[in-house]
Amino acid sequence: MAAATLETATKELNQQIGLTTDGSQYLTFQLGEELYGVDILRVQEIKGYTTVTKIPNTPPHIKGVLNLRGTIVPIVELRTKFGMPTIDYTMFTVIVVVVVQDRIMGLVVDSVSDVLNISKKDIQAPPEFGAKVDVSVLTGIGKSGDKLVALLNIDRLLTESEMQEAASVADA
Amino acid sequence: MSNDFSQFQEAFFEEAGDHLAIVEEGLLALEQHPDDLDLLNKIFRSAHSIKGTSGMFGFNAVAQFTHKMETLLDLLRNGQKVVTLEIADLLLKSTDCLKTLIDAAKTGSPVDGDTVQRLTVELATASNTKVEASAPPSTPLPLTPNLSRCFHIAWTPPEWLFQRGLDPLQIFKELANLGTLSQVAVDTSKLPELVAMDPEKCYLAWTMKLETVKDRQVVDAVFEFVREDSKLVIEERESLSVKREAPESGRECEAFESGTKTASRETSAVDGAEPKPLGEILVESGIVSRETLDHALAQQKRVGQILIEQHAATPQQVEQALQKQKQQESASQSKKTDTASIRVDTAKIDKLINLVGELVITQSMLSDLGSRFEMSQISVLLERMAQLERNTREIQERVMGIRMLPIGTAFSRFPRLVRDLSAKAGKKIQLVLSGEETELDKTVIESIGDPLIHLVRNSADHGLEPPEERLDNNKPELGTIRLNAFHEGGNICITVEDDGRGLNRDKILAKAVKQGLIAENEKLSDDQIWPLIFKPGFSTAEKVTDVSGRGVGMDVVKRNIEGLGGTVSIKTALGKGTVFTLKLPLTLAIIEGMTVRVGKDTYIVPLLSILESIQPKAEVMKTVIGKGELINVRSTYLPMMRLYDVFCLQPEYTDPTKAILLILETEGERVAVMVDEILGQQQVVIKSMEQNFRKVAGVAGATILGDGTVGFILDVRGLLEMSRQSMLVAA
Repeated sequence: MAAATLETATKELNQQIGLTTDGSQYLTFQLGEELYGVDILRVQEIKGYTTVTKIPNTPPHIKGVLNLRGTIVPIVELRTKFGMPTIDYTMFTVIVVVVVQDRIMGLVVDSVSDVLNISKKDIQAPPEFGAKVDVSVLTGIGKSGDKLVALLNIDRLLTESEMQEAASVADA
Repeated sequence: MSNDFSQFQEAFFEEAGDHLAIVEEGLLALEQHPDDLDLLNKIFRSAHSIKGTSGMFGFNAVAQFTHKMETLLDLLRNGQKVVTLEIADLLLKSTDCLKTLIDAAKTGSPVDGDTVQRLTVELATASNTKVEASAPPSTPLPLTPNLSRCFHIAWTPPEWLFQRGLDPLQIFKELANLGTLSQVAVDTSKLPELVAMDPEKCYLAWTMKLETVKDRQVVDAVFEFVREDSKLVIEERESLSVKREAPESGRECEAFESGTKTASRETSAVDGAEPKPLGEILVESGIVSRETLDHALAQQKRVGQILIEQHAATPQQVEQALQKQKQQESASQSKKTDTASIRVDTAKIDKLINLVGELVITQSMLSDLGSRFEMSQISVLLERMAQLERNTREIQERVMGIRMLPIGTAFSRFPRLVRDLSAKAGKKIQLVLSGEETELDKTVIESIGDPLIHLVRNSADHGLEPPEERLDNNKPELGTIRLNAFHEGGNICITVEDDGRGLNRDKILAKAVKQGLIAENEKLSDDQIWPLIFKPGFSTAEKVTDVSGRGVGMDVVKRNIEGLGGTVSIKTALGKGTVFTLKLPLTLAIIEGMTVRVGKDTYIVPLLSILESIQPKAEVMKTVIGKGELINVRSTYLPMMRLYDVFCLQPEYTDPTKAILLILETEGERVAVMVDEILGQQQVVIKSMEQNFRKVAGVAGATILGDGTVGFILDVRGLLEMSRQSMLVAA
């Protein structure tokens, strides 16, 4: 909950200083045909894909770790995380480096698309799919023109699942 | 805006600390070799340096006291006196006293005047010189002003004051430090017309009143650097009689920076730090009476109170905020006292300078290439880029290494401690130090000092038996305390070992039951019992001595070490001794590592845990229960672990006779770990995995390899546990 309040606080602050008008800016990226967005304030940088070092005994979506100017940064393969088939990396494959609760993590995505301004009224609550799709990793569905952007709740996406995996590995 | 003397003072305190350490170390050695003249000279030199520099900075108490020590040392040096135990003891005590005096000068903490006085007398008697008639050494801190004298000071600084970079405000600040500075008035009569004014000249003069406990010399010393060409009149307890230059005109002006028309201001304002509260000014100027002011102040509410009344915040929230404020205050205070500077081995700096030189060369080579680049030169470019990369990385690592200090600095205080403890407890104790060169992060070194002291005290007081008891038990009369430090499995281990009586299981159990920590008939294993001694207030000592026995120390040890993310473990045998092992993670440490390869992956094995590496023959390999693999290394059977099994990797070899076995040791256990190939040996900087990810089983940390990718450092202990668990699952 603390993260959520922080997020709204940041948003309010940004509105006050005129960074955004209403709603937020989102960095959008492509996974297959789907478009995803993360709050741009959470993005530290975007870098081209370089080889990572696999971490032993970690779930498949943890691609490995990377040396980001001297810091060890874990890299999450978002396709695997969402259960999509993996594809060969192309020159468009990039790592989006995000900050999640004081931790730095990298997301491997097919390509980055754009920075979109999505106002609050264009964001609707994530739809319910039942058990088939876990929508808890989404903060909402955003509309920008005729594009549909699934807005990711990266705090939930990256930390909670990490802790679970850690426990399950330890159990094994 | 001021050139603060405090920066030099910091250097002084640091240097004084070093000199004190040399003096102390030297005195301890002197006890063993009383005739060593070199040693005496060394001690003398350090003491002399302290005296000289402290005098220069005006820490007269320190200088005077050191002078007394020096007199005695000089006699010893000239052979007029012989080093006896008493003299050595006196000198050591004096060193302690000197330490407190210097601390007092640094932090303003109070000094035990009696001790200083007593030691001064003792030193004087020892050197057969007369003590000056009971003049108590003046302490360098502002005391309560009931003994104070009153000085009237009139100071007309020389015109070149500003040209030489001197700041009159600095002088006032120093005077204010001596006592209460009041009635500071500036004489602006010599100030010329603005057009005629030379901004680099000082036209001002001041008069002021200073109430202080200090001598006239001390006050004089403040003007040390500006005395030349100054007109300075310092008068004690008398009305001010200053030769003022006849006022040229009626113009009055404040110091240059402010344009207010008041010719006099209170010192606190001169300080620039704290202007007077409004109320005070009102009272002084007679607008309101003090009673009215006090009454008004009493009605004033605190912000928190107001907020609560307006329902803007709950009392709890305000309480929390206040707590936070307090924490921040204390944090900033503690930061103040702890000067964050570091002393670095010159060799490290030299290497760094060399590397920077190389970097500059590489850079100029690159820019040379860039100015006339053709595609045919691409290979040259790549080569130089690689060189640049190498340089930069090396510099990065070296800079990290600067934070590393050998643990010897933390160990160095123990010879003295043990000496004093053995004298106090009437036991003969020798201290053996090893692994002093183990490097660890400065912050870690600073925080392990206290826990180590508690452990060593504990060993000396409770662990080691009195000499008679030792002789009765067929032990050498001389008890041993061993301090050792080493790297192990990505951790730093520090062991405190004694060959004393060991922990008494029954005593601890009985005490624990008595204190209600465990139930009476609870069955506990040894490993469950020993940690009980870390409980706060737990002590089995029959009597409380001034060294230990209150049951506080071990609690502190455990809390401090756990605060650093480490663990404390105990090994003990009744009648044989006790070993405390402190295990600390090394967040920034550099270790020597062996890079090994399994399939396509590279791992780093801490060099210290490797005993040897072998390529086994088929006949030395055995299995038990079909699964557990053992390997015979010089007629000892060691369990074998395939690294690719534990880490789920794709190896090149699955046949141990083609692969390499590393024989690793951790906490006395040995294991053979199978890898494909040994690549080489290198120093690696340990990077935290937990910072951005989490702990990975079997991995102590990560590092950046020569090619810029990440490599993992193996945690031998963790691997052993993992392989055991998988054995259990398999069985």
